Amino acid sequence: MLEISDNPATSANDDPITSDPRQFSAKVNAWMPHEIMLTDAWFPLAHSFAVDKKPVRRAVYSQPFYLWRGSDGQVIAAENHPNDTLAGAKSEYTDESGHYPVLEKYGYVWGWLGTPENAAPEHVPSIPYLPEDGGLPLHMLGTVRFDCCAPLSLENLIDLTHADFIHADVVGDEKMDSETVEVFHDSETITMVRTCVNKSVAPIMKMFGGVRDDVQQVRQVIRIYLRSHAAIAYGRFSPGDNVQLFHPCVPETRDRTRLDYAMNTSNVKKSNLFRYIMPKASYKVSRQDSSMTSPQSPRYMRPEKRKDLHSPLDEAGQKYRVLMMALAERQARGDFAYRDDVSADCSNIIGYEKA
Amino acid sequence: MSEAIWWAVARSEEISAEKPFNVDIGDQPIVLWRDTDGTVRALEDRCPHRRAPLSLGCILGSGAIQCGYHGWTFDGESGQLVDIPNLKSKRKYPPVYKAKPFGVHESAGFVRICLDAKAPPPADDGYALPLSGTSTVALEHGQYIAALFDDPSLLISIKGVRFSPYLLAELFEQEGQLVMERSCQWASPHWPAPFTSDFPISLRIATDPVTGESDLTLRDDEFNLLLQATLAPVPGARQVTQVRWRAMLSPERPGLAAKAMGLGAPLRVHDHIDGAALRVLKPSASIHADDLREEIAARTDQQDEVA
Repeated sequence: MLEISDNPATSANDDPITSDPRQFSAKVNAWMPHEIMLTDAWFPLAHSFAVDKKPVRRAVYSQPFYLWRGSDGQVIAAENHPNDTLAGAKSEYTDESGHYPVLEKYGYVWGWLGTPENAAPEHVPSIPYLPEDGGLPLHMLGTVRFDCCAPLSLENLIDLTHADFIHADVVGDEKMDSETVEVFHDSETITMVRTCVNKSVAPIMKMFGGVRDDVQQVRQVIRIYLRSHAAIAYGRFSPGDNVQLFHPCVPETRDRTRLDYAMNTSNVKKSNLFRYIMPKASYKVSRQDSSMTSPQSPRYMRPEKRKDLHSPLDEAGQKYRVLMMALAERQARGDFAYRDDVSADCSNIIGYEKA
Repeated sequence: MSEAIWWAVARSEEISAEKPFNVDIGDQPIVLWRDTDGTVRALEDRCPHRRAPLSLGCILGSGAIQCGYHGWTFDGESGQLVDIPNLKSKRKYPPVYKAKPFGVHESAGFVRICLDAKAPPPADDGYALPLSGTSTVALEHGQYIAALFDDPSLLISIKGVRFSPYLLAELFEQEGQLVMERSCQWASPHWPAPFTSDFPISLRIATDPVTGESDLTLRDDEFNLLLQATLAPVPGARQVTQVRWRAMLSPERPGLAAKAMGLGAPLRVHDHIDGAALRVLKPSASIHADDLREEIAARTDQQDEVA
């Protein structure tokens, strides 16, 4: 079992985000997201409601997970389906009976990919606005898929300036008085806070949320749990309702991503259509994202001599790249320890306002 | 073209003792026929006398092939010249008087040729799947396989099945083959694939890293076999790809949609490819295939060095 207390928090010297700009730039531009495979992590494989007696199939990095409930209602996660006559040999990720460590939290079935002995409940990421025992209504849950590499999906998410262009018809365009981006990180997470002053009101809030103003104050937070490839997207809108999205990007394969999302809109009045429509916006938004990330993805499969160009608004994306590569390098050296606590309540970090 | 590779250049039904049959492996033309005991013979489709294609000639009662131009007659096994009819003699011809022979192996309804006549034969593949066909596609062999990996719908249709872009497992190596699994849906009205949580069927493709010969296995989510097929693409002249295929629909197919696969042809291999769709096809699995092939080739080289 990995003990967080055994592993001191990242010291300044260990911080992969070096202060030397050249070194940082070199790392940013060595980004090969398809090569990254992080293990010893819990992945949110399925909504709890989707797992019943008949096995459902999931995958992490092509590694098959068959999920079903035993007679006691407990979830079982197995590597092979008993009827699959073409299956390969058992991997090192499962115990003698071919089962993965598995648990349920926040309304998800989490499967552990890594050394089974290292699986510990304290490595499940903190998601302050999802009830620990699940139970959100189905209209707040859904599945969408991205035809791209999971780290690219998350890099796309943490760079919210893209939203003003490809999601302008849902969340509003780039017109605003000012925009600031702050970035915080430790060895397991990266958090981006974007503050926009007098931003165009999101059309979906105008159409369905009852917002009548032309501008609103926006504070958006994206917090990514690096190993689990899972993100919190928390937005505070004034006027408007807060948006509370859990946005996992499970790397089913190196070039395909599965997103079983949960958008908790229980903070919105039951009489407000926004409560029911906003979670469904994912269907539109995900296709808009995929229209860019799908063709982008193969262009990151091979080493590239030409450097990507960056703006100051890309700080979070750049740091995300470096942190992911640092974790991958650490794992390649055989160091799978969690140096920072991912399950500690992050309400303060994301500025979560309980309803 | 490497010498020691066995290419499935024909289906057993295509080769007869009545009429020579011409195929090619790359720029190498080959003539095939059956001799008196039904054994398939393969020679270079070029008479060493005046370079006429032997496939324009005929098969004699002796099982030998006779050039249609001047009647030179060759033994199928050795390629040796056995007769020049106009000489009216029983003379023996020097060993150099021969057409180039190739290795031939017939199993599971496919005729395989190796450009190296002395190469050891491949293992038998079991029984011949009953459905079969041949298509010739104006697409280079490597590109054909890349398209099979990235979007099989450009190359084949399976009755009532829609291929999704989502893979259950990207290409990996299993017992020397490149294997992948793609999620599929029934063609009936359904929730769009990008928003689908679970798919009812999957297509497993296991491909030889060199020849691209692929075993296709369509199964439902309980791993019941619905359809199995073998697709054998062979590089032809002018960068055309010749595809021989065989298939079998499983007799037991649970569910209405699966049962409906039995109405009409369950598998079609396209003769034409949609160039516009191919141009914008996103390379994905095919890039991984290139990486895997390199790994396999490097490992083989290493083993050869050790040996």
